[in-house]
Amino acid sequence: MTSGVTNARNERIFKKTSDQISSETARVLETLRSRADYTREFDYFLELAESGMTPEAAETRTGLTTIKLLCVQAPLELIHAAGFHPFKVFCGSNAACNLASRGLPALACPMLRSVIGAAKLAQSSSESPWVLPTTCDWVVKFPEMLAISDVAGEPDSIRVHWLELPHLKDRDDGQRRWIEEIYNFKKFLTSDGRRIKRAALAESVAIYRRAWQALVRLSDLRREGRLSSIWFMLMTGVFFCDSPQNWTTAAERAANSQMTPALRGAKVFLAGSPIFFPNFKIPFLLEEAGLEVVSDDLCSSERIFPGSVACGDESEFGLMSAMSQSYHQGCVCPTFIDNDRRINNILGRMKGAGFKGVVFHVLKGCHPYDLESFGIETKLKDRGLKFIRLETDYSGEDSRNLNTRLEAFRQTIRED
Amino acid sequence: MKVRNIRSVTQHLGFLILMYGGRFGVRLGSALPCFACPFVPGCGGYCYLMGLQGYIGFGMGALTGVGLMTALSWFALFVFLVAMLGKLWCGWICPFGLVQDWLSALRGKLGVRERQITQRMKRRMAMVKYGLLAYIAILPPLATLGFLHEDFYLPFCDICPGKSLLPLFAGETRYLALNFDNGVSLGFSIALLVITGIMLVGMFFKDRFFCIFCPLLALIHILKPLTALRLFKLPEACTGCGTCRRVCPMDIEDVYRQRTSPDVQTDECLDCAKCAESCPADGAIGLKFLKFKLFLSSRSYAADSRKKS
Ligand code: SF4
Ligand code: SF4
Repeated sequence: MTSGVTNARNERIFKKTSDQISSETARVLETLRSRADYTREFDYFLELAESGMTPEAAETRTGLTTIKLLCVQAPLELIHAAGFHPFKVFCGSNAACNLASRGLPALACPMLRSVIGAAKLAQSSSESPWVLPTTCDWVVKFPEMLAISDVAGEPDSIRVHWLELPHLKDRDDGQRRWIEEIYNFKKFLTSDGRRIKRAALAESVAIYRRAWQALVRLSDLRREGRLSSIWFMLMTGVFFCDSPQNWTTAAERAANSQMTPALRGAKVFLAGSPIFFPNFKIPFLLEEAGLEVVSDDLCSSERIFPGSVACGDESEFGLMSAMSQSYHQGCVCPTFIDNDRRINNILGRMKGAGFKGVVFHVLKGCHPYDLESFGIETKLKDRGLKFIRLETDYSGEDSRNLNTRLEAFRQTIRED
Repeated sequence: MKVRNIRSVTQHLGFLILMYGGRFGVRLGSALPCFACPFVPGCGGYCYLMGLQGYIGFGMGALTGVGLMTALSWFALFVFLVAMLGKLWCGWICPFGLVQDWLSALRGKLGVRERQITQRMKRRMAMVKYGLLAYIAILPPLATLGFLHEDFYLPFCDICPGKSLLPLFAGETRYLALNFDNGVSLGFSIALLVITGIMLVGMFFKDRFFCIFCPLLALIHILKPLTALRLFKLPEACTGCGTCRRVCPMDIEDVYRQRTSPDVQTDECLDCAKCAESCPADGAIGLKFLKFKLFLSSRSYAADSRKKS
């Protein structure tokens, strides 16, 4: 009797959450479609966002089994060469986040809460494994969080392949251990007897190289003010929803099209915690406040993958070690200990582009970015640059307050 | 035009002119800071190491005073050429460098793995080139003064794999044969064959393997304070991605590791600029002539220049 009542109640909650997610998504898509700078070239990306950003949808589109990823350290080229589709699992829905909140720590990462909420709703049919690099504490505890939330049984019943990430990336021993980790990952990918040939690896590297070239073109367009940040974030946000080739072709088409110049505002750099569709609260608020993001270092946007794998040795070992190093040394995730050169990435991207300030987005519960923001603030202010730290979550409750602060920030930039 | 294409053009032009130019009347003298081997019939100029050993440097010329002025003028020309182009001679012109690049390309085509040499080992191996410079400085004078057999006039040429391999491109195979003239020449010819074999294997499995030991590279590096052309880094633009280290044919780590100084022109650097071309950080690595920046890394360039796998 009690369980019957609970089930009915759960069903009601699930139904309500599902409707809320649909309306969150529809609202953002509608806003995007009615923008003055909308062009037909964005339809491909809008449709991907509309038709479900889940591993199952990606499997249908690509015809390949997905490998579910969190974070950006697992080499996409390797997964692709093994005949899988790498899918970075993410969710920006506030409703999904609320659904998962019960039973989890109050300040758990909103992105992971949202992922868990969405998984709860979907009753995920994808049996594909998770590949989790040991980045932050939340990711490390992710299987336990799935179990607590009844998405899975015991944590060890979830198929997870861990990538133990050496957090000192500048040290030779750390780099060596990471290469070993990537070789173990290769073993895991081929445990069903499939093989990864050098030619497939080289081809895969070339495919992602082309994707990176398209990404750089888009980011250059954004820097030049010809592509707005909202569109850029949508395009990068759906990168994993289809094959890299299809995404690249659409991105190249968009980059070659006659785009309506984006709204002009004071140029800023966006750093910090990732931003996932449909939670475009921060990008919309920035636009409203007259601030134009022309570059960022979010792992959901310009850093969805570290760039093309460059190496002098095209043998299998050469490709494997170049791939591992790109995803390790080339990553400026704040979970690394020796991450002092991250500031150079921000300054380098700002140089010559007329930036005056940095907006640092911190998702409540995202401790590594939270902590790193203080050091970055000092370094930027020492160089005479403006800095604002926005601590927020997926809810819209603080929008008015954030807007006021952003407008004041724009004022300080203008006065400068 | 991409830097790598320009480099390829200059390397091939350098090869053609320095290997075959003499047949068309090109005579670029005896002070070239690269392996323009005089043993190649019809070559277009001479590697300075030959002159340095034999007739214009440490050998008869300078020591006997007969050709002191000639020795000094060739030396001045050598310094001038180094001052102007620095190690572009190594990375962009040297015919033996190009031969090594061909072997690396062949290895790449065959999918054979490049062998790794640990940094510690490489540092030790790199000292050999200074040892060879000392060898070049000591033996010819001793031969001139009669303390050594006269076949010690060209002690480096006699063991240089350039002498055995480059003439092959002009159809000359003689230097691969044993020389039974006397004990010294036989010893040298055996040594040359052994060294050539080792170098061929090394150059196939490791990019620019011979350059690790090249005394000319050491000599050019000694003149570094005079060189106008330099590789430089803006440490505050570097994001530490490690790409420069990965693409460097000499596996140089200093460009990646350098966090304070712009000076990354190390003794082994060939100024090939592959690091600058591949660096995805805007303005982190560049090549300059005096104060003029010839090339500066950028993300867009790096993305664009990696069209081919
Ligand atoms: S390639 Fe450029 S950004 Fe990367 S480590 Fe080398 S200098 Fe730094
Ligand atoms: S450090 Fe750069 S310029 Fe020097 S040899 Fe290496 S790749 Fe070439």
